[in-house]
Amino acid sequence: MPIKVVTAGIMTTIQDLGRPGYYHLGIPMGGAMDRLALRAANLLVGNDEGAAGLEAVFVGPELEFTEDSVVAVCGAELPPRIDGEEQPTWTALDVREGQVLSFGFLRFGARAYIAISGGINTPPALGSRSTYPIGSLGGVDGRAVRPDDILPLGQASGGAKPGTSVPVALRRLPGSDAELRVLPGLYWHRITEDSQNRFFDDTWKVANEADRMGYRFRGGQQLEFVPRKQPYSAGSNPSNITDACYPYGSIQVPNGAEPIVLHRDAVSGGGYFMLGTVISADMDLIGQLQPNTSTRFVKVDMDTALAARTIRAGILDEIRQSTA
Amino acid sequence: MTGVYPRLRPHGDSAIAVEFGDTIDADTNRRVIELERAVRTSNLPGVLECVPTYCSLLVHLDPLTAEHATLSATLVRLAHEVCAGAHVRAGKGRLWRVPVTYGGDHGEDLESLAARRGLSPERVVELHVRPVYRVYMVGFMPGFTYLGGLDPRLATPRRRTPRSSVPGSSVSIGGHQSAIGSVSGPSGWNLIGRTPVRCFHPRRDPVFLFEAGDTIVFEQIPAAQWDRLEAQSAAGETVAKCECR
Repeated sequence: MPIKVVTAGIMTTIQDLGRPGYYHLGIPMGGAMDRLALRAANLLVGNDEGAAGLEAVFVGPELEFTEDSVVAVCGAELPPRIDGEEQPTWTALDVREGQVLSFGFLRFGARAYIAISGGINTPPALGSRSTYPIGSLGGVDGRAVRPDDILPLGQASGGAKPGTSVPVALRRLPGSDAELRVLPGLYWHRITEDSQNRFFDDTWKVANEADRMGYRFRGGQQLEFVPRKQPYSAGSNPSNITDACYPYGSIQVPNGAEPIVLHRDAVSGGGYFMLGTVISADMDLIGQLQPNTSTRFVKVDMDTALAARTIRAGILDEIRQSTA
Repeated sequence: MTGVYPRLRPHGDSAIAVEFGDTIDADTNRRVIELERAVRTSNLPGVLECVPTYCSLLVHLDPLTAEHATLSATLVRLAHEVCAGAHVRAGKGRLWRVPVTYGGDHGEDLESLAARRGLSPERVVELHVRPVYRVYMVGFMPGFTYLGGLDPRLATPRRRTPRSSVPGSSVSIGGHQSAIGSVSGPSGWNLIGRTPVRCFHPRRDPVFLFEAGDTIVFEQIPAAQWDRLEAQSAAGETVAKCECR
């Protein structure tokens, strides 16, 4: 039995954990920008961690239920309401047939993940239900949800325990300022030592151009390039390289002006140099940054990056135990 | 090839680049693709996927399960085996014949590119359909196909200001590279023609046509034929002819 979309919010898309396996054909991994939040929401409602849910940006949708279900909202602090009555986030909630799930105003964060028992059961495309509008893949006919869409649900496992919450200590909440840890990258040597230092010393702000493809930052100083011989084919702009693959999290700086951290729907490659890569443990956090958030980039080494992701894996294990 | 290559360079904590050189040439790219096959068939734990580019293979890792040190050692071994010729495969792969309508509405930069190169538009087309191109890399947008083998007389820098949107399936020149576009999107390359072939069609089987290592030849077609083939292409036909060699 499906749910009916009454209003859709600003940008609400169906997302699971993405479609690995097609990067070499230009299809990014996609999937939830805050993967831990989607996993937590799914665990709370008794789904597989990778089941498809909704990713709502800034504003929540209004959903009408046609059967008894369990829902959970994790990630941004976007308070859910059931028939108008406010409910806690990061908690398994009973919703009865005929009730409407809506949302109050965003308190902090940027993206809320809404999981529903059984998971959203739209047809997968290339192995995933994640919405990738550029390629018209996944979601509802390859696009974000709209009013009057009918979202089919899968078979609920019956494993949900309404009332269960993820302990506050395990929720990652963005503060007023953000720190993103960065490993300097393949083309780090292309900018001057002064610029290398300034990149980490300056305070940047999240620009309005911040979406599933990438987050742009502004407010720091222009980066200066080290002179170089003209490389074969790359063009005269010093920020250009011979086209290469852009990994998820890589930071490109077109013309040395405004860094862009590529996120889950990023183009898979291109001709801009990359000065470094945000460590994998901090990628979920980017998905929760609102425009204008003050951000510092912090230089780390590989050992720190690997330790940070071990900590993240530990938190996921604790969430699994707390919802089991 | 110098003694520096092959070499591994981490690209964040979730990807490792294996570099075979820093130039665009077929031998380097062939090694990249041989390594891609070797890694794919080895089923290494923690490897999510591999992306061949001009001179390097980017190996994407699952940050939660990959063992960095073990995996690096394996990649170094495989890369050296590739350089020693241990993973050479027989056959020349696939050859695609791709119809293109050049100039006019289908390639609005043909005349200006010809003028910049001191050639007639007809001569540009003649030089563009002559080579057998190699697919060096697929990426940027879904199915966007990067080609090597462009006649150096046609090499033209990218536009100073990129266009925010160019038509899907545009055939373009950027520096020493040529490309077949896929879905419409931003581009700073010079548009010289358009093919009815869709590199990527989400509701066709196969969804993708070209892979790194394939070869491509272009065949000029008149605009009227483009319209007919475009209709077939939209309906899910591949339109390009493929020969396995």
